[in-house]
Amino acid sequence: MTTDMSLAAKSKKPGGPRKAAPWIGVVLVVAVLIAVVFGVRAAASRGGGAVDGGAADSVTIGLKLAPTNLDIRNTAGSSLDQILIGNVYEGLVARDSDNKVVPALAKSWDVSDDGLKYTFHLRDGVTFSNGDALTAEDVVWSLDELVSKQYHDADSLKNLETIGASGDDTVVLTLSKPYSQLLWALTGRAGLVFDKDAKYVAKTQAVGSGPYLVKEFKPNTMITLEANPKYWGAQPKTPTVVVRYYADDNAAVNALKSGEVQVLAPIGAQLAEPFRKDTAKYVVETGEGTDKYVLGMNNAAGHPTADKKVRQAIRYAIDHDQLIAARGGVDKALGGPIPSLDPGYEDLTKLYPHDAEKAQALLKEAGYTKEHPLRLTLTYANTYGSEIGDQLRSQLKEVGIDLKVNVVEFSTWLQDVYTDKDYDLSLVDHNESHDFTQWSNPDYYYGYDNKDVQRLTDEGLHATDDATRDAKLAQAARIVSEDAAADWLLNYRITTAMDKGVTGFPLNMNQTYLPLWNVAYTPAK
Amino acid sequence: MNRPDRRRVPEAPARIAAEHGPRGRLRRAGVVVASMWAHGAGRFALVTLGLWILVSLVSLFWTPRSLWETNGYAVWAKPSADHWLGTDGVGADVFSWLMAGSRTDLVIVALTVLVALAIGLLLVAAMTSRAAALAHGSVVLIDALISIPTVLIALMLAVPLGASVAVIVLACGFGYGLNLARVARPSAMLAARSMYVESARADGASAMRVFATHIVPNVMPTLVVQCSLSAGTAVLAEAGLTYLGVGVPSGVPSWGHSLSTSVRFINIYPLTVLWPGLLVTVVVVALNLFGDALREAADPLTNPRLRGDDGHRRR
Amino acid sequence: MIKYLARRCALFALALFVVSVVVFLALRVLPGDLATIMAGLNSPPERVAALRAELGLDRPLAAQYGDWIAGLMRGDFGTTMLTGQPVASVVGARVQITFPLIMLGLLIALALGVPLGCASVMARSARARGLYQAVAIVGGAVPALWAGLVLILLFGRGSGLLPILPASGFPQDGWGDPAQAALALVLPAVTVGVIVGASIMRYTRSALQSVASTGAIEMAMACGMTRRRALTHVGLRLAMPQLVSVVGLTFAEMITGVMVIENLFALPGIGSGLVDDLTHRDLIAVQSELFMLAAFFLVIGLLVDLTHRALDPRLGEDDE
Repeated sequence: MTTDMSLAAKSKKPGGPRKAAPWIGVVLVVAVLIAVVFGVRAAASRGGGAVDGGAADSVTIGLKLAPTNLDIRNTAGSSLDQILIGNVYEGLVARDSDNKVVPALAKSWDVSDDGLKYTFHLRDGVTFSNGDALTAEDVVWSLDELVSKQYHDADSLKNLETIGASGDDTVVLTLSKPYSQLLWALTGRAGLVFDKDAKYVAKTQAVGSGPYLVKEFKPNTMITLEANPKYWGAQPKTPTVVVRYYADDNAAVNALKSGEVQVLAPIGAQLAEPFRKDTAKYVVETGEGTDKYVLGMNNAAGHPTADKKVRQAIRYAIDHDQLIAARGGVDKALGGPIPSLDPGYEDLTKLYPHDAEKAQALLKEAGYTKEHPLRLTLTYANTYGSEIGDQLRSQLKEVGIDLKVNVVEFSTWLQDVYTDKDYDLSLVDHNESHDFTQWSNPDYYYGYDNKDVQRLTDEGLHATDDATRDAKLAQAARIVSEDAAADWLLNYRITTAMDKGVTGFPLNMNQTYLPLWNVAYTPAK
Repeated sequence: MNRPDRRRVPEAPARIAAEHGPRGRLRRAGVVVASMWAHGAGRFALVTLGLWILVSLVSLFWTPRSLWETNGYAVWAKPSADHWLGTDGVGADVFSWLMAGSRTDLVIVALTVLVALAIGLLLVAAMTSRAAALAHGSVVLIDALISIPTVLIALMLAVPLGASVAVIVLACGFGYGLNLARVARPSAMLAARSMYVESARADGASAMRVFATHIVPNVMPTLVVQCSLSAGTAVLAEAGLTYLGVGVPSGVPSWGHSLSTSVRFINIYPLTVLWPGLLVTVVVVALNLFGDALREAADPLTNPRLRGDDGHRRR
Repeated sequence: MIKYLARRCALFALALFVVSVVVFLALRVLPGDLATIMAGLNSPPERVAALRAELGLDRPLAAQYGDWIAGLMRGDFGTTMLTGQPVASVVGARVQITFPLIMLGLLIALALGVPLGCASVMARSARARGLYQAVAIVGGAVPALWAGLVLILLFGRGSGLLPILPASGFPQDGWGDPAQAALALVLPAVTVGVIVGASIMRYTRSALQSVASTGAIEMAMACGMTRRRALTHVGLRLAMPQLVSVVGLTFAEMITGVMVIENLFALPGIGSGLVDDLTHRDLIAVQSELFMLAAFFLVIGLLVDLTHRALDPRLGEDDE
């Protein structure tokens, strides 16, 4: 069509040498573009922040992993926990920035001495965002539904026997056996309280009792949270919080630089460097997390990694400090399955220090030589980038292991590695907290079956006091690590970069739990 | 371009290619290369592509540093005597990776063009076939399948195959093959309805023979340019698909790999992303120029030296 | 012509059917399913099975296909399994980004490519010809990803040297603020436009040259036209069929090209959305989206073909 028009335009003019003619189109395009850009910029140069140097009534936060729907009872993924728990939905209890249990909808609770009976005392005057009162009945209904419909994380409430209410403000849970992680489990999805009488489309809407309500949700793109006027506690400091999701790191960095977002979490340590230097405008902080980069080894019989010597050789061959340095140096070395924010943590990094000679000796004992080198395949999801695979390949090559790296889509990883257990080595970021029990499950994809670990884990979980629990779990974790059931490459620490005017943004574990009520933003004048 | 000989009524292609036999073909090839060399653009293309092949061969035996020499403490280093183009995100030598990447890209381009050409010619043959069902069916097939983007085919292929060179070759070869057929359709249709074809058919020539002697020469100029474009596009597609994570697998050196590993850090280390981008651009330019130059040099209508037998040397 | 049209439409319907079957089956072969993804890493197998049943993934293939096709017949593209929104509205939201992006990119491309292509044929001096050729060839050789990155480094708000244009996503209220929305599309559209423009330029040039080689230009000049007029008036007209083909094809190709650009500029368009849905194995969404795309491009193909015929009388001869 355009061609036709330019053709028609040309044909009207008499012929003759017009050297400039072909350029007209080009010049026109450039001119129009410039005009549009500057015209629009002039028209659109409205201020983004608040006036008078006071706190803004809106703050925009840039995150990475986007939820695909809001159905927190059915859909896995930490991005849902991150944005909904503590903001839109609340549980009986919540966790603080050190991963300890604190009151939420229950203002207090009692635990019987035998650890079998939990009595929760609910707050008065709590309503859902639709105006319905939140009573013990809703709590019981939520827990009943969780168990009967086997919603996500239902299995985290182990040994649960009865769920009952006594009056409108007391909920009683009884257990068949003590369970030392019950309270913590209730801080997550399992403990969330939903409105029994509300009708809404769970995938796109949310009705909770938290300080915010979901005003708008665009899957994979953004969520707008607005203060819930019916909230039982103090109103959040910033009435509107917009969360935008950036899958691409460059776009995310540009968004922070151009002021489209005031906070970026997470940001790669290296990408944060320019912000770290620009102290006049930005603050860069690093928080603790429970993310464990687990180099899973297939412990099941029939795999080269079923041989403990091979697994030990791999652990000795890996130079964790170098892996961490290449990522920007903020992550922590992690020698075992339990990170510092979880119960039972113990520094196990000394168990397998980097030692190429020891690794080679172990491989020799296991029967691998230069002529018959050990060949392994590492399968991991493409979300973790190719760098870490390249480094492992290079480090294992130094001790004579021929590593093939297979980077696949996450769903393929789920099928091949997680479900079918068809792999030698696997890499995944197990970001869940309190997930040590995966080592006592012989059916889990690690194929790790150690009776001592299973017994100790059991004892830890059934302990009635925290000290016993921590000691038993630590003991079990040490065995898992000594057995070289896997290698723990690093404990990922979250780097958050934000505008200097932002306060109250959680730093620890903010990829799984991000309460926003305390966030405030005061734009620079 | 507008030399006087353009005005001559073109002879039937079959007559110009009268020289048969291996010697004649060799002489023709020599003339074609010499004619390409005579122009700056052709020379640039020949030199670049020659260098590309040479570097690919050398990289099989030697690179300045080993590809697997990583150093977590020296990532994103600036160019130095040790690392001519600096290091990447794991401390490996960028120059060595680019060198080794050239062989992967070379293989990808060669295979892609072969697959595309095979599919393209097959479809052209089907479209110009006298069996109406086949002819119309193939047209519809092309229309239907061409609408599926290459990237999408690659994404779907990548699910069973994983990220691999085969994904790029098959997806691109398939897509470009359809494209070749589609672009060649007008000239192929015109040729199929020409007097030459009618008289050849009247003479009792087989369908194969008609296709080979009348239709292929007519679509060849279009196909050659398309193939060289496809070769260039294949290099670009390698970069794009590898960036999307379905192209060259991790651990295999390729220009797309070098490009996409540095892309994330363009804000801090823009220099690292410069080299693979420039390299890809230069090579794709060379491939595109090569197609143009080859068409000019191999077409007797535009290259008087191929018509040496009629005794005139123009220019 | 009517007979041709009827035949073409029948084949069009057949092609749609074939596409629907191929797309449906291809997606069912993919390993991994939505239920496993929704269940996550620490869920027991019973939970996965329950989700599969709830999503209808355990039903026979024929029943799943039948439901889908029955829906399509009613104009119902289904509901995405993951987000619970109607596929049509999801796609609608994405089209609002991708379509303007492609149109803007194509406009830039045509406005750059056609005049430059003509000019490169008309240029008399070897130097000017060389310059035009260099523009066409280098423009078409730059990786889209890289061109976008360079543009971001030059003009992107945030990290650019001359930070005048946004380079990180679409405004949150979409086209609610048309100025902001248009602005967000400028850099990606220029990226696309420059690259596609170079290829349009090449095609224009080569089409004009092949027209010139038929002697039509000389004939027109013999009738008293200047060379320039002969080329732009007669030559371009004769080159039209080829150009229309190319523009149609380019349009299809741009969905592909735009995918990387959408990713780079964080625009939630059709391409990046499709990749997302495929990654999540949201089969109903993917199959309907693919079907819509295929149908859309079949229509484009049909239109290109018909226009081609209308513009080039030589092709219509066989339709008695």
